[in-house]
Amino acid sequence: MTLLDFARGPALQWSLIILVFGVLWQLLGTILIGVKKDLSKPRRNTAVRDGLATIATRSLPEHQFEKKIRFQHFSGYAWHVALFIAVLFSAPHILFFESVLGFGWPHLPNGIILVTAAIALAILFALVIRRLSHPVQRLISNADDYISVIVVIVPLVTGMLASAHIGARYETLLAIHFLSVEALFVWFPFGKLMHTALTFPSRFRAGAAFGRRGVKA
Amino acid sequence: MRKHQTLGVYLHAQGVSRRAFLKFCSATASLMALPPSAAAQVAAALAAARRPSVIWLSFQECTGCTESLTRSHAPTLESLIFDAISLDYHHTLQAASGESAEAARIAAMEENEGEYLLVVDGSIPLGNPGYSTIAGMSNLDMLRETAGGAAAIIAVGTCAAFGGIPHASPNPTGAVSVSEIITDKPIVNVSGCPPIPVVITGVLAHFLTFGTLPDLDHLGRPVAFFGQNIHDRCYRRPFYERGQFAHTFDDEGARKGWCLYELGCKGPTTYNACATLKWNEGTSYPIASGHGCLGCSEPDFWDKGSFYTPISAGLWGSRETLIGAAAAGAALGVGSALAARARKKKARAAEEAES
Amino acid sequence: MSVDNAAFRDFRESLERLGIDTPSEVISDEERVRRAKQTFMDKLDGRMAVDLTTCVHCGMCAEACHFYEATQDEKYAPVHKFEPLRRFYRRELSPMRWLFRPFTRDITAQDLETWQELVYDACTGCGRCDMMCPMGIRLSTLINVMRQGLASAGLVPAELQALQNEQRDSDTVFGVGAGKLREVIDRLGRQGIEIPLDKDQAEVLVLTTAVEVLLFSDALAATAKILNRLGADWTMLSQGFEAANIGLVSGDEVTQKRATAKIVEQAKACGARTVILPESGHAYQALRWEGANVLGEVLPFEVLAMSEFIAREIDAGRLKLKSPANGSSVTYHDPCRLGRHGGVIEQPRQVLKALGLDFREADSNGRENFCCGGGCGEYVIKRSAPLRQKAFEIKKREFDETGADTVITSCANCRINLMIGADNAGWQKPVESLVEKVAASLAE
Repeated sequence: MTLLDFARGPALQWSLIILVFGVLWQLLGTILIGVKKDLSKPRRNTAVRDGLATIATRSLPEHQFEKKIRFQHFSGYAWHVALFIAVLFSAPHILFFESVLGFGWPHLPNGIILVTAAIALAILFALVIRRLSHPVQRLISNADDYISVIVVIVPLVTGMLASAHIGARYETLLAIHFLSVEALFVWFPFGKLMHTALTFPSRFRAGAAFGRRGVKA
Repeated sequence: MRKHQTLGVYLHAQGVSRRAFLKFCSATASLMALPPSAAAQVAAALAAARRPSVIWLSFQECTGCTESLTRSHAPTLESLIFDAISLDYHHTLQAASGESAEAARIAAMEENEGEYLLVVDGSIPLGNPGYSTIAGMSNLDMLRETAGGAAAIIAVGTCAAFGGIPHASPNPTGAVSVSEIITDKPIVNVSGCPPIPVVITGVLAHFLTFGTLPDLDHLGRPVAFFGQNIHDRCYRRPFYERGQFAHTFDDEGARKGWCLYELGCKGPTTYNACATLKWNEGTSYPIASGHGCLGCSEPDFWDKGSFYTPISAGLWGSRETLIGAAAAGAALGVGSALAARARKKKARAAEEAES
Repeated sequence: MSVDNAAFRDFRESLERLGIDTPSEVISDEERVRRAKQTFMDKLDGRMAVDLTTCVHCGMCAEACHFYEATQDEKYAPVHKFEPLRRFYRRELSPMRWLFRPFTRDITAQDLETWQELVYDACTGCGRCDMMCPMGIRLSTLINVMRQGLASAGLVPAELQALQNEQRDSDTVFGVGAGKLREVIDRLGRQGIEIPLDKDQAEVLVLTTAVEVLLFSDALAATAKILNRLGADWTMLSQGFEAANIGLVSGDEVTQKRATAKIVEQAKACGARTVILPESGHAYQALRWEGANVLGEVLPFEVLAMSEFIAREIDAGRLKLKSPANGSSVTYHDPCRLGRHGGVIEQPRQVLKALGLDFREADSNGRENFCCGGGCGEYVIKRSAPLRQKAFEIKKREFDETGADTVITSCANCRINLMIGADNAGWQKPVESLVEKVAASLAE
């Protein structure tokens, strides 16, 4: 079995198994710990609306905060947008998703994907440099933060190399790219990458909790 | 034709002009990625070379390789070189049959001990010697016996080079490649299903000129022909870069000749010279005909999923395993949440008792 | 409508003595850790679990914190303030606890002692970081669990511990009991301000706080004037007047529950349908939002903050105000637990509008308002005075930028803390009470 066959076959299968297994384990095991019913009389009964609103509004910083966190905020979102474009609209990726999900969608030209990935990478490097240099971030960062950054950076770099066919034989690049993404899958449920899923319940609950007290969150 | 005639004399007798011969030599030199000055060396060496004795053994194979090499619709210089060798044993092509055929093989081996070239096509079954025999002799025994006195072995076709289709899962005959049995002789793998004819002649020319085998890649294939993947040399590459793909074999993209990546083309992971040398005297190759590359010159090409599965797609088992993993993860999640609740309840009771 | 300066000085001096002779409980390190963990286990819930898992360590919360803003010291980043709790969660409650335990350091008594400063001296639970977090994490609730754990471990700062012990053991705060309340009510009665005390039955029960009794009796008088003008059927109760809840701020559930239960009992006994809370942010949180939860029963009456009540009466046309001839300029300081945590944000502004004042919004206001710097009982902790003073500078700058003559607020604690800050900084702007402003402008 070649490295690529291993990467596309058993490694992929097992990493997906761990991903699905771990995400559900983490997600349900966390949420189902449960919350006590709030017995206070709500100021308004719009929990669902408030929760959904906060999911949206937390994506934009408020006036007061915006001036202080502009760099982090916009680079953070720019990085996510660039990453999602590169991940979701690259033709080979869509073919991959199609093989797993059973359906696909239109793609963007390679050149655009490469540029987007380069932008994502540049922003991520800037954010890593900030993490390493800003006193607050340095203090609060732990192994999870650095492992998570690595498992995201490596697929980006290997993906760009594979897409541009530089550095090694294509099947080797592709195999390494596959394996790096699989490392991401395996790490995903165990670290802060779970924010991908948990941000939404977290924001929703903040919106609902503040909302029942009459405060926009 | 006489055995000890030189190649130059033989070709001249066949009506090949000196000019045509030199043209062939320089083409061969460039094909083999040799410097231009090597053409003269190739010409001198080939002209003086004695026609080598070649023994061709066919094991578990479909004769496609032989067809490919011999069924040129017009004679070419490559085929002349092919004719020029002294093919002493080839059970598809030789006139002799029965015991006299086997006697020819034994005679050639004895006469050219340590000098003859062994060409093999087809894989060798190890599961049961009876799966494939010639004149009552198992393929394995015949290969071992014949390889013993060979100067070098050329494994022609993917079956001989890597096991090929007989080796494909579940490999009922236990088929293996030549290199898995013979480890003490130089072996050149000329893979492909079938391989490109000129690659054989190129390897022969190299052997005749330098007395050595050409540079090989990690799979034992001549780098000159297998050094680059189809994708890098494909005329449809610009469409790949632009993200223009045929989605089906009869859509607009297919008609416009766009990239076949989405239709499972294995060009990016297949190392062969199809895109440059092409087939049928440089007429075409599969991608030019509108079908993706199958990756036939790579090991295990038959087992790498559907020919129509894109290479970026996974080759993984089933969705059922994922559903199983999801169910197990959910069960563990619910279980650990319940355990957490129980621990919280206990802590609550203790808090109340202590306050 | 002013503060008795002598009383204010006395009060500041009494704060200096607070906690000096509080007996400190002798608890072994192991026992401290055990108690803290038990409380963490009890208090952490599924929402907090989600929050702890989803944090990406971006550190943006630091930018919301007045203590970080004032000092730029990274240890004041809100997310850092519940670091031991995060570790506890990963080791003990997370669904992946078996996996995480070998890689997560256990919490130690040393950790708890280190974090005492971070969660008591350097966090007022104002919740401004809750509004900043891009993940929607409610950091203030997590830091509150830290306080609760430290309280169980006997690590409440001495001053706060002294107040907590007092309320737990004798139901008084700052020594203000029924006698002291009667004294003030009698004094106000002599000034012609009637405060009904201990009526058997009343529609409205009015609470006050020790601080109001000691320092801001004008606010109590103003409350009485307004209710009397409305002709309300109201009373105060000598055995259930204290709205302050030290347990809530120190993190001691027993004290919190006891203080709340006392109010609820009394309110039920006199058949009150409305309980009006004095100008106190944490009292509002303790009764309005946590009262039912800490007792485990729905409260049989409505709970209103005084500012909320006034806004409602003005809105209904029952309370008429006269506009002052020369509308002086004011700005409003939102008490965190009334505004951001309580939802009483628009009401005080409506009242100020009705007063016809030249209202000027500070740059940070409403749900984004900066804390006064001394909330959550912090203003009694002596060693955090320098830190509070630095945070006060932020308030001072924002107030000055509005150009307003007067700062209005609706929380006695905010008022004290701002006054202390102003006193130390030699800043002259008056910090006044919303209720007093209203009472002074009642239409004839």
